[in-house]
Amino acid sequence: MDQGIDLQQTFIQSLMDLGLPAGAAKTVWMPLPMLLMIIGATVGVLVSVWLERKISAAVQQRVGPEFIGPLGVLAPVADGLKLIFKEDTVPAKADPLLFTLGPVIVVIPVFLSYLIVPFGQNLIVTNVGMGVFVWIALSSVVPIGLLMSGYASNNKYALLGGLRAAAQSISYEIPLALAVMAIVLMSNSLSTIDIVNQQSGYGILGWNIWRQPIGFVIFWIAALAECERIPFDLPEAEEELVAGYQTEYSGMKFALFYLGSYVNLVLSALMVAVLYLGGWELPIPTALIANWLGVGETNAWLEIVGASLGITMTLLKAYFLVFTAILLRWTVPRVRIDQLLDLGWKFLLPISLVNLLVTAALKIAFPGAFGG
Amino acid sequence: MLKFLKQVGDYAKETVQAAKYIGQGLAVTFDHMRRRPVTVQYPYEKLIPSERFRGRIHFEFDKCISCEVCVRVCPINLPVVDWEFNPATKKKQLSHYSIDFGVCIFCGNCVEYCPTNCLSMTEEYELAVYDRHELNYDSVALGRLPYKVTDDPMVTALREFLYLPEGVMEPHNLPTNARRAGQRPEEILAQDLAQQVAQEEK
Amino acid sequence: MNLAEGVQIVSFGLLAAMMLGAALGVVLLSNVVYSAFLLAGAFISAAGLYLLLNADFVAMAQVLVYVGAVNVLIIFAIMLVNKREDFTPIPQAWIRKTATAVVCAGLFALLSTMVLATPWAISTDATVPSGSMVVIGKHFFTDFLLPFELASVLLLMALIGAIVLARREFLPDLEEADLQQTMLTLPERPRELTPAGSNPGSHSK
Repeated sequence: MDQGIDLQQTFIQSLMDLGLPAGAAKTVWMPLPMLLMIIGATVGVLVSVWLERKISAAVQQRVGPEFIGPLGVLAPVADGLKLIFKEDTVPAKADPLLFTLGPVIVVIPVFLSYLIVPFGQNLIVTNVGMGVFVWIALSSVVPIGLLMSGYASNNKYALLGGLRAAAQSISYEIPLALAVMAIVLMSNSLSTIDIVNQQSGYGILGWNIWRQPIGFVIFWIAALAECERIPFDLPEAEEELVAGYQTEYSGMKFALFYLGSYVNLVLSALMVAVLYLGGWELPIPTALIANWLGVGETNAWLEIVGASLGITMTLLKAYFLVFTAILLRWTVPRVRIDQLLDLGWKFLLPISLVNLLVTAALKIAFPGAFGG
Repeated sequence: MLKFLKQVGDYAKETVQAAKYIGQGLAVTFDHMRRRPVTVQYPYEKLIPSERFRGRIHFEFDKCISCEVCVRVCPINLPVVDWEFNPATKKKQLSHYSIDFGVCIFCGNCVEYCPTNCLSMTEEYELAVYDRHELNYDSVALGRLPYKVTDDPMVTALREFLYLPEGVMEPHNLPTNARRAGQRPEEILAQDLAQQVAQEEK
Repeated sequence: MNLAEGVQIVSFGLLAAMMLGAALGVVLLSNVVYSAFLLAGAFISAAGLYLLLNADFVAMAQVLVYVGAVNVLIIFAIMLVNKREDFTPIPQAWIRKTATAVVCAGLFALLSTMVLATPWAISTDATVPSGSMVVIGKHFFTDFLLPFELASVLLLMALIGAIVLARREFLPDLEEADLQQTMLTLPERPRELTPAGSNPGSHSK
């Protein structure tokens, strides 16, 4: 497997050539990818908010945002600015400490999960061995923040919304984790890099979606439920609960919830792209293209082009899934709370268990095709 | 054992059916994505109100005979007619007339019953104000004529769906002389007249 | 001491302080909701300590299981039954408090003597051992197979017990009056209960 470009090595090496000690050079490097990732995630949110508004408009035969910037691309920025300048109110009998802490706890794990999203062989903040497990563990912290804000708002609707959100994310975490487990079984590693590498080599035919079609569907349904998107947006069902746990929030604290939900959506889409759609891999194997062009695989230009293509591919796949999520929003009506729990516990859970068992059996039967 | 298998089979069948229906729904929404927006981009575009549009009421002060029919036919007795008997002319003399459009339901009864036709409906519908009392129009305000949408250079006037040529769904970029679908009122009248003439000749 | 070691010591201090503070808060605060949320803080700091010990899998499992599942369920339960009640002072509470203090101090003394008496084999190599999860898995299925299976059987029993409790049809014979306790339960429409001894076939379709 070729290593591709390693920005970290190059950067640290060049700093050390300038005369910095190795430790200091690494310290200078470390915050850079994190900062880049936070900015990237925020820009990703702006893009997906714009897409959400534009696609929703198109589906309903409207125009959508049009005058704020070309094609209304600055509309989400304007939204954000408005939320920043808005007065930050805390209800009179609310618990101010927990009220402030709630949205923070919701947002931080979601941003932290971007640690393990790979955009290329070395284009990842940290390639930890735990990989997807980090994401699952971190996303299980979110319900605490939701419960906290629901409780601290001192509002019946907010409390009910928070309880619903917690119940929903607990019950959908299990099928999600089981679907991931089937993938992990095939790639023998939790690391996202290894999972993508295991899918590489055969282009589009090697992607996990062909080997795990049921797992893919389970994962995407559960991910939508985790993100509280329609048809699973019960915690903020406006007809029943005003806005659920967000009812009492305004200004920057509301913006954190808003940001968190969209970051989570993009993150889930990225994870689907990594786990099932071959991550940064092109539909045609890169080695094949290199052969056609008659250049060696270690050609510097090819590597730079390949890296940028890899980032583009990952984002394209992720945004295709975001698109389907938005389309689903205008297609499917909201489920009832009992239907939601039925779907989670009586449908997704058994099916994902069966999927895991079948994957294990196939792995033993055909070690070549399902990862030895 | 077989019963259990049947249950599983039924369940699987229902699942497939549900997936099929969701797929159909997605196809519908996806199909709508490529259609043109049907919305009117107000305030840059406005629809031309139809002939019988019931907008803000116009009032002609000089025609009014202060008979108060409009007050009597109004569901809520809304028009305020302030008159005084003038002994010299032995006639009622109107001093003020007002209608509060914050309360009016635009039913058009007053226009219908006015014996001197001093009340009429206009095509004005943009009645947004900062204070609801500003909607209480006095006789001067009632006497103002609204701007026509077609005369406003800032606005692209769009025809309503009913006034488009046959088969055309799109009001944009329509030639100004494009004829609406069906017959115009004067044509219907002429046709009736011709029929009558033909019958009389028989 | 280089930079990495300094960062390690500082984060250890921070995590330890966080852990102690959160744990004391859990015990000492009178508001049960605060205690529950602080418990999550204590769990998370424990996960951080595991991370410092290079036990990444245990740390993540700690977050997933204790914070994500156990603590959420605790908060959930508190919020479902949360009744604002004034704390009524119990007569002769000092006996309980002293007894608790004695037990806690004894436990602390016991554990600290154990910590001090154990000859710790402190590893001196600075390299990060990779694949702790693989080693754990191997241990689970070889020399620790029996405890592992026992734990899973225990969890299965708990699972089945929870299902039995949740499905009210199989409740054992209880007096109607016993179920009428209203202190910490949500008001619920009384349901007709089928005694465990009666013929269950007549109820299944």
